[in-house]
Amino acid sequence: MPSPDLVDTERVSATIEAEAEKERRQDGKIAQLELTIEQTWADITPPEAVAGEGDGHLLDQAASLAALDPHVPIESRRGLRGVKWLIRKLTYWYIRFLTDQFNVFAGLLIRHLRSLEARLGHLEAAASQPDDHSDSTTLVCLDDPPEPSPTVVSRVAESAGSGPCLVLSGGEGAIVQAIGERGIRVRGVEQDPDRVLAGLRRGVDIRPGDAFAHLADADTGGFGTIVLTGFVEKLSLVDLQGVIDQASRTLMNPGRIIVVVADPANRSRVDTDLGSGLGISPITWRHLLERAGFDARLEPCPDSRIAEIVVAHRTAIPSVDSNPSQS
Amino acid sequence: MSSAVDILIPQMATGDATSNHTRLIQELLEEKGIEVRIVVERKTRSGNAAIPIDKWRADGQVSILQHSIGSEVAQQVIRRKTPVVLNYHNITPSSFFDVWQPELAKSVARGRMQLGQLAALTVRGIADSEFNAQELRELGIEDVVVSPVLWQISSSAVQAGLSSDMASEDGGTVLFVGRLAPNKCQHDLIAAFAVLSRFRPQARLVLVGDASPPQYLQSLKSLARELGVYDQVVFTGKVSDKSLLQWYRKSDVFACASEHEGFGVPLVEAMAHGLPVVAYDAAAVAETVGNSGIVLRDKRPLTLAMALHRVLGDGQLNQCLRDRGIRSAQRFDISVTREQMWIALKDLLDAAA
Repeated sequence: MPSPDLVDTERVSATIEAEAEKERRQDGKIAQLELTIEQTWADITPPEAVAGEGDGHLLDQAASLAALDPHVPIESRRGLRGVKWLIRKLTYWYIRFLTDQFNVFAGLLIRHLRSLEARLGHLEAAASQPDDHSDSTTLVCLDDPPEPSPTVVSRVAESAGSGPCLVLSGGEGAIVQAIGERGIRVRGVEQDPDRVLAGLRRGVDIRPGDAFAHLADADTGGFGTIVLTGFVEKLSLVDLQGVIDQASRTLMNPGRIIVVVADPANRSRVDTDLGSGLGISPITWRHLLERAGFDARLEPCPDSRIAEIVVAHRTAIPSVDSNPSQS
Repeated sequence: MSSAVDILIPQMATGDATSNHTRLIQELLEEKGIEVRIVVERKTRSGNAAIPIDKWRADGQVSILQHSIGSEVAQQVIRRKTPVVLNYHNITPSSFFDVWQPELAKSVARGRMQLGQLAALTVRGIADSEFNAQELRELGIEDVVVSPVLWQISSSAVQAGLSSDMASEDGGTVLFVGRLAPNKCQHDLIAAFAVLSRFRPQARLVLVGDASPPQYLQSLKSLARELGVYDQVVFTGKVSDKSLLQWYRKSDVFACASEHEGFGVPLVEAMAHGLPVVAYDAAAVAETVGNSGIVLRDKRPLTLAMALHRVLGDGQLNQCLRDRGIRSAQRFDISVTREQMWIALKDLLDAAA
């Protein structure tokens, strides 16, 4: 049994999060229970108390304006202090009494209006439900890409710079491990809990979570190298542009982005149909990264699903008003 | 100019972290032979010797403003353009209170607005945590020092902390200490507890703290009732120091789902009392807990419940967190934090003298 001092709490946290996610996916009852709990809380609280509802709404503004603050400013004056103090005290309590009455009345009124609005919202939602299939267009049917081959893994590790490294998606941790073995501080982020747990068993720093969200939340200039793989094969061009923007922001200067993706042109017929418009080829990645101010090159990886990786260096932050089309 | 130091605070109250902090700064400075005047907006029984803000002459050697909410004392500093040492404890975003307590939402929004105005008058920022310090730097205050809240952990805390028996035969007691307020997210703890009670039917959740606002408490009780765990959730209300100590002793794990903590005094108290901590990673929580607790980036009910279950059931992990927590809490021991506060103030006081 290892010494308690060797317990890595970050790894314990990551393991718990991944196990919970796995449980959620495997056991529909648990996922349903969480939804029920969320719905119960939403039903109990005022509509806008649940995150994401009612921001900047007219009723919110009304609620904010309707709450009077009885703490009126007071100034220091000479003379007649006692009398002024008494008058001020009495006035304060009277104003406070009035504002309390007003706030209770306004709060009640707004609460009823919110309740009415919520009911109307439910009615509208119920009326529009049969025709609402808009979400179906965003379904992604492609399977997650397989783990990269040892050739690709070692090529990526050789290309990584010396600064802290972030691997998105981390998969089962092969790339993270290979980079870590070179003495570089590295962590991976992976959405699939099975892969996270496999990575943690491998002993690497891999955290469960959404790769794009993690990138968006990361500190500016926090990483020397960012490896983009896995999840980027399932994103549209618009989303990929967002990934490049976020990765550029998150990167140190100098820094490098390594893109590890298969060419969509080599997909099977089924995957071509299912993944239409998702993912781009390494050569297009190189083009986009060059437009973003990187010096990018392709490095071949023979005998692999991923035939080439893109290694893009940034030596200077591009000028804000430079025209990308000229580069 | 008077040789005294003025400490400005909206009001001095008992059981309030900022008021205790102010009293301890007063003690610290008085021990160093410096006269201290407490200036308040509203007099209370516990702060009877304080000077009301309308009688404040702003002629102190140094003025220290305790800022955590919109107040008339801050307004007076702004109006009189008085240079201050801004002791910043963070301000809860008003969005947490918009629905529950609009009046409080207005006060905290006012506090944020005043913070922006105070930046130009601040000669030094003193922040409880790096998280708070970062906010001050973003406002353009260059001279910012991190010095945690001063407070006296009960001397019996260490003894309690040495007890390592896992009292989970009855399922375990999960504790949270703090106002029952929307930003503290006790509803997430009840949600997680509803899942935990499936693994541990005998477990109980103890929520120590006054309700603010009262409607939130009613909603929490309704949630517990709807989820079938009402009998296992204890709402203690505000408790005495003695009772608080007993709750720390009786509990098996401290859980925090709060979304806004500028520092998190109860987290440190829990660690000092040898309670393992499971917390959600928000604001200054991770910084305060460090590697002495399980800090989660996801607080959905199942995740939080699994973390609590794991800590309650894994003896090695439990012991590790207890040991580390006790060690980690020593960073915030009054002897350490008093010294940090003195260093933060000394050169300003010397310069003013």
